[in-house]
Amino acid sequence: MAVIEVEGLVKTYDGRNVVDGVTFGVEQGEIFGIVGPNGAGKTTIVESVEGLRRPDGGSIRVLGLDPIEDRFEITERVGAQLQESRLQDKVKVREVLATYASFYRDPADWRELIDVLGLGDKAESRYGSLSGGQKQRVSVALALVGNPEIAILDELTTGLDPQARRSTWETIEAIRDRGVTVVLVTHFMEEAERLCNRIMVVDGGSAVAIDTPAGLIASIGSGQRLRFTPSGPISDDLILGVPGVTAVERRGSQVIVSGSEGILQGVSVALTGEGILAADLTVEQDSLEDAYFALTNQDRTQDEGDAT
Amino acid sequence: MSATVELARLEGKLFLREPTSLFFGLVFPSLLLIALGQFYPGFLDPVADIGYRRYVDVYAPVVIALGIATVGLVTLPPVLGTYRQFGILRRLRTTPVRPHKLLVAQLAVHGTVAVVASAAAVAIAVLWFDAPFPEKPLWFLLSFLLAVTSVFSIGLLVGAIAKTTSGATALGMLVYFPMLFFAGVYVPRTVMSDALLTVSDSTPLGSAVQALYDAWFGAAPSAFNLLVMVTYTVVIGGIAVKVFRWD
Repeated sequence: MAVIEVEGLVKTYDGRNVVDGVTFGVEQGEIFGIVGPNGAGKTTIVESVEGLRRPDGGSIRVLGLDPIEDRFEITERVGAQLQESRLQDKVKVREVLATYASFYRDPADWRELIDVLGLGDKAESRYGSLSGGQKQRVSVALALVGNPEIAILDELTTGLDPQARRSTWETIEAIRDRGVTVVLVTHFMEEAERLCNRIMVVDGGSAVAIDTPAGLIASIGSGQRLRFTPSGPISDDLILGVPGVTAVERRGSQVIVSGSEGILQGVSVALTGEGILAADLTVEQDSLEDAYFALTNQDRTQDEGDAT
Repeated sequence: MSATVELARLEGKLFLREPTSLFFGLVFPSLLLIALGQFYPGFLDPVADIGYRRYVDVYAPVVIALGIATVGLVTLPPVLGTYRQFGILRRLRTTPVRPHKLLVAQLAVHGTVAVVASAAAVAIAVLWFDAPFPEKPLWFLLSFLLAVTSVFSIGLLVGAIAKTTSGATALGMLVYFPMLFFAGVYVPRTVMSDALLTVSDSTPLGSAVQALYDAWFGAAPSAFNLLVMVTYTVVIGGIAVKVFRWD
């Protein structure tokens, strides 16, 4: 059963369509990922679903309701964690959760909630004294304190260190296990691959693909990448001449060769023919990240710093 | 309704955790009156120029106005700026609570602080410096109420448009210091020239001081002073509500 149905969503700012005819559905109980470069329209899409923005075209149904018309009912049943939102530094975790719980007709037990989120011993701590990961978990707790059927989490792990990010992933899985449908906006492909049942890739305001992580990877054709340090000078042309090789890149003394599956054999033969050894050789299969860059036509080398 | 009460309770607790706001909003007006009365030469002597009243009598309404301005223009706007900057207003919009309840809660908290600070200043004037209890208490209350609504309307407007804490602070200060001048904090209204007095009367705080003084010493405040405060409340308050940005 689809709990969110978006059809032909259009949102215009200053005469420009920042969201341009996006259609997707979210099934009950799944973790649905929305990925895409900055400015692709991800946040505008989820904020339209939350009823914070009024669409300029298309239709949105959330739990069978209209987010604008039935705004009040939506806020009872959809929990939202907004991008870049904070709380007052001097507010205690207990106070803010108890206050927000009082807003809902059927709130969750916030004490149990903070235990589940690993904040049990932080109830009396002030928000300002929490670590980045703990703050994000408070934010998640606030999104869940109304006992929502859907939780929309926007860039939950941006700015967290790898350890905090991983523990936040466990939190998201715990939410899903409570029976809550999760919509996750992220630009970490590792995160989307690990957590999401299905992923929508957004670029330039349009949905360029919606599929399972495995489906997205398969859709760009299986490829392989070799990284090695040659023992002597070799020309790009030599390697490009190997059947299946599509690109050669150099990073310092390292050579990176991309192409279809099975290029390892041919490249090895070509190098041996020149009497050159390939040191520190690694073979990489295409990942969701490769699929993402292929689908969004981004320059991989430029964005690599952001994505790791 | 209960959400507003819960929010006001939380906001009240948060206010009590800000030592600076607490001192300048709550304590400073009374402290200033005590300091002037105790240490300023001649402050307790009747002066012919001001109708054989004492400067401490003239200053008692001034410190009340100072307290209202501090709470309304220095403390209130940055809170709203912070809430916008931190996305707290946006977050509230995703809950079943209508975010204007947070504004109501904020105004209630700051209004309470203004009431307590002013009551303390009146108590100091009456009990410590032997001023009479305000002789027209109902006019006094009305004047106080209009002073709060008119000054808070300006504070609300500043908080309505400022994007950040620092923006709200800067803008608030820009209004605060001239207002204090026209209220007679630096030089009493009794020595202002006619031209200066006219300007002073046209500011909410200048009119507030005059109305509070009149009511304190047995006269009904002038319709003009009351009207100035009503006008600021309706016009500026109306604009603030109209232009208030939630994100």
